[in-house]
Amino acid sequence: MERELTVVGNRMPMLDAAAKAKGTAQFIDDLVLPGMLHGKILRSPLPHAKILHIDTSKAEKLSGVKGVMTGADIPDRKYGIVPKAKDEYALAKTKVRYIGDEVAAVCAVDPEIAEEALELIKVDYEELPAVFDPMEAIKEGAPLVHADVQKNISASIRKEFGDVEKAFGESDFIFEDTFYSQAVNHAPLEPHGALAQYDPKGELTIWSSTQIPFFLRRNLSTTLLVPESKLRVIKPKVGGGFGQKVDLFAKDFCACWFAMNLGRPVKFIYEREEVFIGTRQRHPVYLSVKTGLTKEGNILAQQFKAYADGGAYNSTAPVMITLMGFFLMIPYKVPNLLHEGYHVYTNKPVGGAMRGHGIPQARFAVERQLDMIAERMDLDPGEIRIRNSIHAGEPHPAKFVINTCGFVDTVKKAAEGIGWAQKRGKLPFGRGVGMAGGSFPSGVSNMSHISSGAVVQLGRDGAVNILTGAADIGQGAETVIGQIVAEELGVLLEDVRVTAADTGITPLDPGTFGSGVTVRAGNAARLAAISVKNKLFEIVSEKLEASVDDLVAEKRKIYVKGSPDKGMTLSDALKTYQYGDHPMPIVGRGSWMAPTTEPTTLLKENGNFAPNYSFMTQAAEVEVDPQTGRVKLLKMAAAHDCGKMINPLLVEGQLEGSVVGGMGQALYEDVIVEKGQVMNPSFLDYGFPTTMEMPEIEAIEVETIDPLGPFGAKEAGEGTQVSPAPAIVNAIYDAIGIDFMEMPVTPEKILKALEEKKK
Amino acid sequence: MKQEIALNINGDTHELLVSPNQTLLEVLRDNLGLMGTKRGCDLGACGACTVLLEGEAYLSCLMLAMDAVDKEIVTIEGLGGRGNLDPLQSAFVEQGGLQCGFCTPGMILTAKAMLSEEDHPTEDIIKKRMAGNLCRCTGYKKVIEALQSVSEQTAEEE
Amino acid sequence: MRLPKFEYVEPKSIEEACSILSDEPSAKILAGGTDLLANMKHRVEVPSILANIKRISGLDFIRQDNGAIRIGALTPLKRLYKTTLVTEKVPALSSAAASVGSYHHQTMGTLGGNLCQQNRCKYFNQSQWWRSAREPCFKVGGGICHVVNKKEICYSSYCGDMAPILLVMNAKVVLANKGDSREISLQSLFSGDGKTPLDTKKGEILTEIVIPEEALNSFSTYSKFANRESIDFPIVGAAIWSSVQRKEHRVSFTAVDRKPIRARNIESVLKGRDLSEEIVEEVAGLASKEAALVKSSNYAPSYKRRLMEGLLRSTLKKAMRRS
Repeated sequence: MERELTVVGNRMPMLDAAAKAKGTAQFIDDLVLPGMLHGKILRSPLPHAKILHIDTSKAEKLSGVKGVMTGADIPDRKYGIVPKAKDEYALAKTKVRYIGDEVAAVCAVDPEIAEEALELIKVDYEELPAVFDPMEAIKEGAPLVHADVQKNISASIRKEFGDVEKAFGESDFIFEDTFYSQAVNHAPLEPHGALAQYDPKGELTIWSSTQIPFFLRRNLSTTLLVPESKLRVIKPKVGGGFGQKVDLFAKDFCACWFAMNLGRPVKFIYEREEVFIGTRQRHPVYLSVKTGLTKEGNILAQQFKAYADGGAYNSTAPVMITLMGFFLMIPYKVPNLLHEGYHVYTNKPVGGAMRGHGIPQARFAVERQLDMIAERMDLDPGEIRIRNSIHAGEPHPAKFVINTCGFVDTVKKAAEGIGWAQKRGKLPFGRGVGMAGGSFPSGVSNMSHISSGAVVQLGRDGAVNILTGAADIGQGAETVIGQIVAEELGVLLEDVRVTAADTGITPLDPGTFGSGVTVRAGNAARLAAISVKNKLFEIVSEKLEASVDDLVAEKRKIYVKGSPDKGMTLSDALKTYQYGDHPMPIVGRGSWMAPTTEPTTLLKENGNFAPNYSFMTQAAEVEVDPQTGRVKLLKMAAAHDCGKMINPLLVEGQLEGSVVGGMGQALYEDVIVEKGQVMNPSFLDYGFPTTMEMPEIEAIEVETIDPLGPFGAKEAGEGTQVSPAPAIVNAIYDAIGIDFMEMPVTPEKILKALEEKKK
Repeated sequence: MKQEIALNINGDTHELLVSPNQTLLEVLRDNLGLMGTKRGCDLGACGACTVLLEGEAYLSCLMLAMDAVDKEIVTIEGLGGRGNLDPLQSAFVEQGGLQCGFCTPGMILTAKAMLSEEDHPTEDIIKKRMAGNLCRCTGYKKVIEALQSVSEQTAEEE
Repeated sequence: MRLPKFEYVEPKSIEEACSILSDEPSAKILAGGTDLLANMKHRVEVPSILANIKRISGLDFIRQDNGAIRIGALTPLKRLYKTTLVTEKVPALSSAAASVGSYHHQTMGTLGGNLCQQNRCKYFNQSQWWRSAREPCFKVGGGICHVVNKKEICYSSYCGDMAPILLVMNAKVVLANKGDSREISLQSLFSGDGKTPLDTKKGEILTEIVIPEEALNSFSTYSKFANRESIDFPIVGAAIWSSVQRKEHRVSFTAVDRKPIRARNIESVLKGRDLSEEIVEEVAGLASKEAALVKSSNYAPSYKRRLMEGLLRSTLKKAMRRS
C-alpha cells in the first residue's frame, strides 16, 4: 500500500462481538418460524446390522406427530463432501454401519412429543459381525463395512517424491518409529442444527449451522432432487465448528424433506450426545515414520505410512489421507518422500475434517521422531529443525512455491520464549521443555470449488456493504474481510457491514475448511473493493486534476499522493460521483483463485498446492506429578509466521484456542470406544480443558509479507493446532525421560510408565 | 398437567402455563423467546445455560421452571441498560474474550455472579470460579484478561 | 433432552416430605437437582413425584452447638467455603466443597444432596437410547451388571466428594421421619450396595450433618484427583484426619467402591504411631487392598490402585509437615 495501514493490522473487536455479548446474535436454535415443527432422529444401537423391518405405525399415531420418515422414503442418491467418495444416505437404507447411524426421523409439534415418538418406532435388525480396528479391518475375511469396498480401504494413496530407496541407501542414519494418534471430538459448544422452510413456489430455504453453505446446497440438491436454483442455504451465527460442521448431515436433509412434504418449517437440533456420536471426529491414525539422515542431521529421505481409522463413512477420506503426507513436505526439506496412506472403514463413528485435517496426526509422528532422532544423534532439537528448514525462494522437492517462510525465526524465538537454553535437560526431574515445528497451507489449491467471489457496494453516504460467501464460524472471517475492504477503500471499519454466507444473495465461496478463507475470500473482497475504488477514483481524478494512479484513499478522504491538502472528503467525492449521473451505489466485483504454476491434481504431479504457507514453532514447558501422573502444561511459547496479521487480536485468539485444543489432544481428550460404542459422549466424561487447565501462552509474531495474501496475510486458523501436541509430548520426555509414542498421554499412562521405568 | 406460574425475569413478571417437567432453560427459550441463554449440553456440564438467580450463577438446564417461582432471575438480556453494554460485556468485546459467542452469555453471567461475591479476586480465584464455563474457541486467555480488567476497574472505583 | 413427566409438590414441612416418600415408593425429594435431574433426563431415575424440599425452612444452617458443628442438609456447598465458622474450624470441609463439580454445582448443590448422591457407572449414567444397545442393567431394574458381567448384583461406584472428609471426622447424620428422627454415624448411612446406596428406612430424609467436637483441632485434608480440576467427579478422592496427640490417623477414599470407605486396615497399622517417611511408605502400598476396585468407569482399576497409593502418600506427608 502506498501509505501506512490504518485498519488492517489493528487489534479490533469482531463486527458482531457486541451482539454476541448481548446474547442477540442468532444461532440456529434461536430461529423460530410460525408453525414450526421439531424433528428428532432415531439412531442405530448396533454397530453393524441389516435393517429387516421398520414399524413406524405407533409413532405416526401419536398425537402431535406430523411426519415419520425412514431410508425407504428417500431417493437413492448418496452424498459425500468429496464427489468421488459419496457413500452416505441421510437415513440408512439397507443396513446400519455404526452405533449412531441414522435410521428414521420424526417431526412433531414439540420436541417432547418427537422424543416420545422415537421410542415408538420399532426396528428389526439382523446383527452382522462388526470390525472395530482398522488393522483388523484390512485383513482377509474381515467383515466389510461397505460391500463394494475391498479390505475396507475406501481411499488410499501411494505417492513418491524423488527416490527414497536410493536416498536411504545414502543415509548415515536410519530411524524407524511407530506412533498412534487418538480419536478426538471437536466438541463445539453449539450443537448441530438446521431449520428448513418450503415456499409453495417450490423454493426451499434452509438455515444450517454449517461451515460449507455452498457445498451443502450442492449436496442437498443432489439428494433431494431439487435444483440448486430452488435451494437457498443461509448460515446463521455458528457456535464453533472446527471442521465438524463440514458435511451434509441427516438434520439438514430431514429438515428439508419434512418441510417440503408438510409445507411447514421444520427444525432439527442435535443433542450433545448426538454431536459426539453422530457427526464427525478427528481420525485416529496409526503412523509409521522412517527417516534417513546424514551424520550432520540433514534429512535425506522420509517414508511415511498411515492407517486412518475412518469409521463407517468416508466424509473427507481421500482428501485427508492425501493431505497427511503431502504436507510433510513443509516446514522441513525432505528431498525424497514416500507417502502411503490408507483410509479404513470400521463400524465406528465417522472421521472427518478437524482443525488441521490429518496434518496434526502426521505432525505428531514426525515432530516426535525428530526429537528422538536429535536425542539419538546428540543434536539439539532446535538445531536439527533449523538445519532442515526450507527457505523462501528455494526450489522445493515437491515444487511447492514458498514465497515467504519465517520458520527458522519461529524456532529461535519460540526457544527463546520458553527459556530453552536455560531449561532443556537442566530442569529437575518432573519439569521439562520441548518444541515442535509446523507449517500449514492457506487453503489447498487444485480442488473443485476453490475460488471465492465478493461484491462490494459503496453507498451515497459512505457506507460500505460487502457480499461474501465466506462462512464465519466464530473465527472472525467477516471482520477480517471487512478490515481488508475498509483499508482498500480508505474508510473506517465501522463504515462497513458484511452480508455473508447466503447462497441466495452472496457470491460463492467453498467454505471454512483448509484455512483458506482469509487469503481466498479476503483477496476476492479486496479485488471487489479495488474495483469500487477505481470507479470512484476515475471521477475524483478529473475533479482533482490528477491521474488515477496518484490518488490515495484514507480515513474517509481521497487525496493526491504526497499532497494531502489536495483532496476531498469521501462524502464530497461520492456527491460528485452521484451528481455526475453515475448510478449509486458504486458496485465492484471480485473473484479470486490461487494461481497454480503447473497444472496439478493432488494425486498426479508435483506442483504448488497453496497460495502460501504459514510456519510455526511452539515450545512447551510441562510439569509432571509423579504421585498422580498429572501433566500440567505450564507455558507455551508459540512463535508464528502467518504473514501480515490483518487483526492481531483475532490471530492471537486463534493461536490461544489452538494451544489449548492441542493441549487437550495431548493430555486430556479421548473418544473411548468399547465394541463400537462411545463410552463418554458427554461434556462430563469427554473432558476438554477448563480454565483450570490453562497454560500461560506467549504469542510471538514473526511477520512476513506474502505477495499472494491480502496485504501479505497467510493462514492463522489451523496451522496453529499442528504443533502444540507434539511440543507437549516432547517436553514430557525432557521432564521424565520417557518417550510417549501415542496420544493422549494421560496420568494413567504416566504412572504406568514411571513404574516400569523403575524396574 | 400444565400449571400457571409467575416468573420474574429481568425485572418483568411473566404469567405462564408450564409443565412441571419443563426446565427453566426450556421456559426461557420456548415460552418467553429469550434466546440469549444457550443449550450446550443440557446436563449441567458446560455452563452455557447459566442464569442469575438472586444474583448467583445457576444452571438453568438443571432447574425446574417451577422452582424459579418467587426468585429474581436475570438472563443475558437483562444486562446493560437502554441498549448499552454492561462493563463486563464491553470488556469481552474490546479484549477479544469471545469468538463464536455461544458460551459468552453464560461466561458473562457467571462472571457477574463471581464479581459480586468476591472482593478483589486473584487470577486463581477468577479461573476457579469460571471453570464451569467451557469454551472451545478462545483457550480462555482473553476471557480471564477481560474479567481481570473489570475486576481491577471495579476495585479502582471503590 | 426432556425430563420425564412427574407430579411436582412443594411440601411445607419435613414431616410432609417424609409422608410423601413413605406413601409413594417412587417419589423422590428434590434438593439442588444437579444429580437427580441429570439422571432423570437419562431416564435412569424416573420418580412419579418430585417433592421440592428447598422451600422448607430450617434446613439451611451452619452453627456450632456445644462444640460440635452442625450443618443443615440443604446448606449449599458454596456456603461451606464462604462461612468463617467452617473455613476456620474445618478448613478441609471448605476445600472439599470447593472441589465439587464447578462453581455452579457448588451454588446449587447441597451438602445433604452431595452425600446422598446416586452411585455412578459408565453403563448407568447414559441416555436411554445409549443403554438400549445392551440389556437393562440390574441397577435400572434389569438383571445383569455389565461391569462384572454377573446377575443380580450392582458394582456402581460411590463418587461423592464430601463423604471422605466427613467420614474421617466421624461425622454423624440426622435422619428425620414423620415427626421422629434418629442420629447415626455417616458411615452407616452407606449400604455398600450399588443398587440402593443408602441404608435408610422408608420415608427418611437426611436433615443434618454433625461434626463432633473431637474432630476439630486436628489436621485433616481432602485430596481429589480427577481428569480436570473442575466439573469432574473424582477418579479417586482421599481424605485423612490425623491427631498427633492421640496418635490416631484416619483414612477414607471415595470413587473406589460401592460406598465411600474407611481404610480400617491402614488405620490399625497407623494406630499409636507417629507419622514418618517409613510408615507412609508402609501403608501406601496397602491402600488399594482396602477397596474392591472394578472398572465401573473409564479408568482402570490398576490406575485407581496407583492413585490411591499416590494420594495417600501425599496427604499423609502433608499431615507430617503440619505436625
